[in-house]
Amino acid sequence: MRNYLAVIFDDTGKAYKGLHALWQLDNEGLITVHGTAVVHRNDWGQFEVDTKETHPALATAVGVGVGALLGALAGPAGAAVGAAGGAAIGAGAGGVVGLTTDLVRADTRDQAKDETAFVLGIGQSAVIADVSEDSTSAIDSRMSELGGIVRRRTASTLRDDAWDDEYLPYSYLYPYEYVPPGYPLY
Amino acid sequence: MNTHMSKDLDKVRAAAQELHGAISDAVVKRGGAVKADFEAVGQKAKSVTESVKTSLSAQNDATKKHLKDAVTDLEAVQKHAAEALKNSGQAFQTSIRQTLADARASVQKVSEALAAKRSAESRNTRN
Repeated sequence: MRNYLAVIFDDTGKAYKGLHALWQLDNEGLITVHGTAVVHRNDWGQFEVDTKETHPALATAVGVGVGALLGALAGPAGAAVGAAGGAAIGAGAGGVVGLTTDLVRADTRDQAKDETAFVLGIGQSAVIADVSEDSTSAIDSRMSELGGIVRRRTASTLRDDAWDDEYLPYSYLYPYEYVPPGYPLY
Repeated sequence: MNTHMSKDLDKVRAAAQELHGAISDAVVKRGGAVKADFEAVGQKAKSVTESVKTSLSAQNDATKKHLKDAVTDLEAVQKHAAEALKNSGQAFQTSIRQTLADARASVQKVSEALAAKRSAESRNTRN
């Protein structure tokens, strides 16, 4: 089964341990990971996506892409916001992209706010992943050991909610374990 | 557990991942170093394409389909990397972006092929 995941952790260090564990599960052949990204929600409620990209406009594109995916993982309302392009992005130094959701659709605003907060609270970090898994138990148990909470939606459900054919969510995820310079390694 | 039963495709995917990593590092670098990097990218893409083609014969239909799509993307990587070497300015930037997008698509297809193969092997093991 093809699924998109958000695995939520209380801090960045744990999130990178979770990222490593996910790729280890792939290496063991228990799942196949197609792409991953790590996002953070800072004390001001803004989302930050770790990326190699340093060009502001292109970093923004990464932020919008991952932001749309995060919104879609939050549920139908979050997906609507993401698909509407309602993410306001600012590029930061060191290849970090900050994004704040600009909820342009009044009818989905409250629901989306609740759902995105449900995905990632202030100060938390999450591993976003595109995976194929025959059973959910391998990821659930490994992430639970690391203190991670797994939110999962099937790729088909996500697509039905949010995306047109031109949006390729995988293109914003790294197809290998990417850890930005300066981050502690597990 | 189907550990390492799909080792042939694991290696192919690792090569495709490495190709994407090399291109994305070159793109981030920008400036003069990029052109030299892109000469190597074209060669590497050719080598990964050959590996994917070689692995095709041993696969089931679902896996094969993904791998054929990967070959198309890898050929596009070679084409756009070659164009990048000839272009300059905005056209050069466009070519390197296309090369990166093609490389990302090719890893995705190989990864989907690997998932299809692992899933089939897992079913066979259970039966």
